[in-house]
Amino acid sequence: MVHETISQIWKRRSLIRTFAINDLVIRYKSSGLGVVWSLLEPLLMFGVLYVIFTNVFKSTVENYPLYLLLGIIMWSFFSRATTMGIGSIIGRAGIIKQIYFPREILPISSCVTALVMMGIEFGVFFAFVVVFQFLPPISILILPGLLFLLFCLSVGISLFLSVLNVKFRDIQSVWGVVMYAGFFISPVIYSLDTFPEELRRFLLINPVAQILEMAHNSVLYGTLPSLSSVAYTVGVTFGILILGYFTFRHYQFKMVEEL
Amino acid sequence: MSDNAIEVRSLCKTFKIDYNKSVSHTAEELNDKRYSSDKIEVLNDISFDVKKGEMFGIVGRNGIGKTTLLRIIAGIYKPDSGTVKVDGSLIPLLSLGTGFDIELDAKDNIIMYGKILGFSDKEIQQKILEILRFAELEKFANVKLKKFSTGMVMRLAFTTAMQIDPDIILVDEILGVGDVAFQKKSYDAFMSFRQKKKTIVYVSQDVNSINTLCNRAMLLNKGRIESIGSPSKVVNDYLGIFEKPKESIK
Repeated sequence: MVHETISQIWKRRSLIRTFAINDLVIRYKSSGLGVVWSLLEPLLMFGVLYVIFTNVFKSTVENYPLYLLLGIIMWSFFSRATTMGIGSIIGRAGIIKQIYFPREILPISSCVTALVMMGIEFGVFFAFVVVFQFLPPISILILPGLLFLLFCLSVGISLFLSVLNVKFRDIQSVWGVVMYAGFFISPVIYSLDTFPEELRRFLLINPVAQILEMAHNSVLYGTLPSLSSVAYTVGVTFGILILGYFTFRHYQFKMVEEL
Repeated sequence: MSDNAIEVRSLCKTFKIDYNKSVSHTAEELNDKRYSSDKIEVLNDISFDVKKGEMFGIVGRNGIGKTTLLRIIAGIYKPDSGTVKVDGSLIPLLSLGTGFDIELDAKDNIIMYGKILGFSDKEIQQKILEILRFAELEKFANVKLKKFSTGMVMRLAFTTAMQIDPDIILVDEILGVGDVAFQKKSYDAFMSFRQKKKTIVYVSQDVNSINTLCNRAMLLNKGRIESIGSPSKVVNDYLGIFEKPKESIK
């Protein structure tokens, strides 16, 4: 059944691509700087946080500029993908009410849009890597796997919340607050290394914190994640993905009538 | 199934409605048994067939469930009970806009529409020019749809659906906004569509067009099929509804 679903979605990949491209076109065509915004956004954020955390809070994290930028890029992806994903059903209510197509394509394509934007931002990250003359360790090779996990987690959350958001529109407002708080309780601007063990373990319940921690360690410090944290993160990610998928399936027809 | 393009059997559909409690029902609503406190039976045990090559008209008052019926046939809504069988590819053209994105230009909308219906890039690219020409919108290929007039959007939607050439097309009161020239054009398109043994389900308040275009028609009233058969008889029955004195309101 899982195989059937994946092959069905794969068959409609060109529709996913079209929706994702349209999202990007709508986002950038009517703004003066266009795609440049995708680069400026994380860079401006990086600039502000970098100044504050090196001067005011005196961060002692090794390779802090790269640490910070990597965290910002990955967090922005997660935040954008889920925010756009949650609004994707309401945003295309017109099409959904007029014609049938597999509706799960909408939240998925929102996450693909965010993925493309993250791809552009990683270009900036690797430019930084060159500028700082940083030689990444071999463990950087697990980064694609970590990004894949983050993508699956985003799709799962988007599927789950997009369909519920049709009836309970509070979700998208609450999610904005969750993302704001999440930014500060995840290892984006600081490292969990100096935290007391109990607090550290508590914060690592959050799968995004796990993924960020693994990304920082593998890309910058040459440390591979422990088997237990990989198992935990993969389990939570696919648990949420499966829960999201079945919730979406269950409510997809009811949701159309609510639109 | 071979002769029938669409088979509908014992179809029922109920909608829940959140009535604002401070608003009382109208007298007519209270007398209408389909309404209860919080739900409305839109379709109640509907069965009919539409044959291949037929242009099948549906008439009925506003809010009687015509669009709901088309949405169920198109797979957009799920019925509470009953079955719908559709033989062949189907395009619904429901009300205005028909799923276009007003932030995108005409060309991107055609591409998106084609993709939703499962066509490949190549097939769509071949058709874009033809669609724009037939809709007389070549000059507006790169104009966002939000700058289009209602009639222009309708022309684009109708032409896109016709050029994609499905086996069945569901048309819901969308032709009224076209100008006279385009109405003539769309009637010709319907006729050639029918000659190709293709099927049209046509919902309209314009009884004249039901009479002249359709070869069979159906009147929906209060959740049921009130009459079905020759268009002239169905149209007469429909007009009869409005002439009946409304005892219930007294």
